[in-house]
Amino acid sequence: MGKVINTTNPSLQWSDVLEMINDSRIDSVGLNERVNSLSTRSIKKDSKLDALNMIVSMCDLTTLEGEDTEGKISQMVAKAIKPDPLDTSISSVAAVCVYPSLVSIAKEKVSNSNVKVAAVSSYFPSGQVPMESKLLDTKYAIDSGADEIDIVINRKAFLEGDFRKVFDEIVALKEVCNDVHLKTILEVGDLKTYENIRKASIISLVAGSDFIKTSTGKLAIGSSRQACYVMLKSVLDYEALSGVKAGIKVAGGIRDSKDAIRYLVMINEEMGSDWLSPNLFRFGASSLLDDVLKQIKKLKTGAYQASYYFPRG
Amino acid sequence: MIDIKKTYKNYVGGKYVRSESGKTYTKELKNEFYELPLTSKKDIRDAVTSSKDGYKKWSSTTPYLRMQILYRLSEMIEGNKESYVELLMDHGLTKQKANKDIDESIQNIVWFAGLADKWEQLAGNLNPVSEEYFNISHQNPIGVVFSLSGSNISLNELLMSILPSLTVGCSVISYSEENSVVALKFAEDINNSDFPSGSLNILSGKFENILDDVSKHVEINLVALHKELDNDGLKSIEENASESVKRVFSQPSIEGLSSILPYLETKTVWHPKGT
Amino acid sequence: MIDWEYSESIESAEIVSIKKKYANYIGGKFLEPKSKKYLDTISPSTENLLAKVPLSNQQDVNSAVNAARIGFETWSKISPSQRSRYLFKIARLIQERSREFAVLESLDGGKPIKESRDFDLPQVAANFFYFAGWADKLDLSWSTKSLKPYGVVGQIIPWNFPLLMLAWKIAPALATGNTVVLKPAESTPLTALLFAEICEQAGLPAGVVNIVTGDGSTGSLIVNHKDINKIAFTGSTQVGKLIQKSLAGREVGLTLELGGKAANIVYEDAAIDQAVEGVVNGIFFNQGHVCCAGSRLLLQESIHDQFISKLEKRMQSLRVGNPLDKNTDIGAINSKEQLDKITNLVNEGLEDGGELFQTQCDLPGNGFWFKPTLFTNVQPSYSIAREEIFGPVLTTLTFRTPEEAVEIANNTEYGLSAGVWTEKGSKILWTADRLDAGVVWANTFNKFDPSSPFGGYKESGFGREGGRHGLLSYLKASS
Repeated sequence: MGKVINTTNPSLQWSDVLEMINDSRIDSVGLNERVNSLSTRSIKKDSKLDALNMIVSMCDLTTLEGEDTEGKISQMVAKAIKPDPLDTSISSVAAVCVYPSLVSIAKEKVSNSNVKVAAVSSYFPSGQVPMESKLLDTKYAIDSGADEIDIVINRKAFLEGDFRKVFDEIVALKEVCNDVHLKTILEVGDLKTYENIRKASIISLVAGSDFIKTSTGKLAIGSSRQACYVMLKSVLDYEALSGVKAGIKVAGGIRDSKDAIRYLVMINEEMGSDWLSPNLFRFGASSLLDDVLKQIKKLKTGAYQASYYFPRG
Repeated sequence: MIDIKKTYKNYVGGKYVRSESGKTYTKELKNEFYELPLTSKKDIRDAVTSSKDGYKKWSSTTPYLRMQILYRLSEMIEGNKESYVELLMDHGLTKQKANKDIDESIQNIVWFAGLADKWEQLAGNLNPVSEEYFNISHQNPIGVVFSLSGSNISLNELLMSILPSLTVGCSVISYSEENSVVALKFAEDINNSDFPSGSLNILSGKFENILDDVSKHVEINLVALHKELDNDGLKSIEENASESVKRVFSQPSIEGLSSILPYLETKTVWHPKGT
Repeated sequence: MIDWEYSESIESAEIVSIKKKYANYIGGKFLEPKSKKYLDTISPSTENLLAKVPLSNQQDVNSAVNAARIGFETWSKISPSQRSRYLFKIARLIQERSREFAVLESLDGGKPIKESRDFDLPQVAANFFYFAGWADKLDLSWSTKSLKPYGVVGQIIPWNFPLLMLAWKIAPALATGNTVVLKPAESTPLTALLFAEICEQAGLPAGVVNIVTGDGSTGSLIVNHKDINKIAFTGSTQVGKLIQKSLAGREVGLTLELGGKAANIVYEDAAIDQAVEGVVNGIFFNQGHVCCAGSRLLLQESIHDQFISKLEKRMQSLRVGNPLDKNTDIGAINSKEQLDKITNLVNEGLEDGGELFQTQCDLPGNGFWFKPTLFTNVQPSYSIAREEIFGPVLTTLTFRTPEEAVEIANNTEYGLSAGVWTEKGSKILWTADRLDAGVVWANTFNKFDPSSPFGGYKESGFGREGGRHGLLSYLKASS
């Protein structure tokens, strides 16, 4: 858990985008049926406990508010390191995710634990600033010690059909990141169609993103299993092209264990066990973790739990 | 030595052809003699080959054009009405009955002409399936139809054994015994019409000679018997037909929409509705 | 990274109580067979004996046909709206007892519980609901005059969807005013016998539905019975032909829903990932025991390698095993006999030179099982490309142009179903027009609905089941 990520995805050429993007045909009805059929898997007993433990290790605890303070970050990091102080068998979460100005504080709090510090940059969540500002924002986060950078794609350019601009911006930000882990947020709620999600995934992957991420969490429409399915197919097709295994982060709207387990089933059956690792799959969710901890305790003790048994994050 | 008034040939593939067997039979009408082809097994095979070709052409003709070709046929019969009436009277029909038969024939052709571009709307429909799918059932013509016409002397009855299947785009091998002089005269109008060659082949002879070949021929998709056969005949046709799951209809309905249903295969197509 | 194994999640079989011995359902009563003979029905996933059911003889069939004749007197006289109400009631009762039926179906037939629960049973209820509404609207169904019920209908159904095939047969027959003598398949009689309880519960008049069990000999007695007005058969083309022959020269109506060897055509401009799903669903649904299964995969040459690699990967995620495990995708092969047939055909395919891919999985010790199987490098002449295998075996052929795809697809005596995958609308319509098949699934496969007519061209049979067209299978024009 929380292993150092050695390899990053090198940026490929724009021509690779063109090659892959032609093959973006998706039938939404068929896709929905497949996703729904995966959701009928019945995960019980040991396999459920395994899943819940995996989910904890894949969680990115997040606070992205104007009201974030040092105190808030301290609370969250403490919870990230020891999600359930009474059950030490439970691992720490994968990372904490904060704004650039709070990276150095978070970095100090995680100290030598396995928990990574991720920063949202490039003027998250809208990204509506000049490129120079996005680069500065990102550089600042990296200089402050961020292990991972979450950027947003240029939806304005994307929706205007200027895919090349979207690509070039990610390539430029990737250059700033160097070997710092780059997660690219597609904001699927803005893209709406599966074909757009597919195209944005391909652009992001070819441009060198180590992860593609569904959402900022700032929109009413966050992640969906359907969007995740489109993204995972893109990741697999990109692997077939480049040999690189990229990761996926789902964020926004994943509130309970049942839903999270359905994501894991999908990852397991469509991608295989390689992706059942925080190195390649993450959940960005703040309220999910408490429900997972409750479920773990329920499985271990047989009793349903109340939220006040678990510390605030 | 008998005096032959007229020699008829089978009408196959848009041409008048003798039976390859060279066999004929004669029919006496009002002291005049008609020499008619006695269709052989080989003739049936040739007719099926022609009908397969005719099916391709006729079934891909647009309904609008099929309608016009049928309507023009009615105009031609109307133009030749006197000669048909005369021929029927030669067979012993009264002038009144003969006139009525031709009038009904014309009316029926016009009725089916108007059906040519409507039956798909009457026999097909959208199906309201429960999921996000577009689902429609529509019809294809069944293919090559062998139609045995009835024993009465009548152009109208002959037509009612042909029009329902022809209208929906099938090609038809029409076979007459008693009514063959009328049928082969009718072939002349077909020859002058715009029906593609092979879409309607008209033959005469003794059905019992070819019963086995017709019912066993896998490329005949449907056998329509507009004539009551003895039980042994029907049984052996249906037994032979079972070897290729061939459709057999004995005295099918010629009423309204029911008349065309036997000649249609329902095809249901599904497609998702999504973005 | 961990190897995450799903723990067993077994649907409890306790909900259904299986009797040791069953009786026929004739004239509203459960009657011991006059033959005094019984057949064993086993669970194909364990080979354990489930129950004994009557092996009905001539006397038993006589009683059933007589009961149906008497039933017809009642049934044809009650008001159409009454008939409608009975069918609605049956539909509701099936919904209420659907878990019980689903478990029994999976036990007796071997199909995964997720299919019997999520597909078969909802479809069974939907069929009764759909035809219930037709019963009092027959005069609106077709603009043809004087359509009348046949009278007593003999119905012989297969083992692949035991209760669903019963629903496909009984619901339209009853809605149109016929009464029935139904014989379920020899290896899967139990849900039909449980359905008899539903008829009782619904208070259906005696003799309207009669159920006799037995083997092929019983079926033949029904076909040859002098007082039967119509036969509806679903099963193999071979048996269908025999039935058509037996009925030659008799005034008995007939509809046949027979075998298939459907082509599933994937063009290079298809939505590939959904096409892979559709191909998997097309052949591995219900262990491939589906007459309309997409058993011939026709791939455009340009996407062959990419498609096969995605398909093999997807096949590997199929879970074979205990039908009652909620996570099972592929259950047991229905019988030893069927397993032998599949095995022989697959061996023939190997000898002919086909290249075999089978998924890596452990098969249970007892019972009848077959791994999901894919053949590539197959020539159209191989028997695996021509004969109906009726198992989880897919054969792949390739094509270069749309014309060639259609030619290969139609190069078979069957004409039940076909699939077309392309995102180009005009190509779908062009292809669908040219396929000799009663059902064409475009960008989907194996979809069913009570309102959607089903049935074949050519040697896949005649007549349609389902929809407005399905009514015509149980009505004849009378003067």
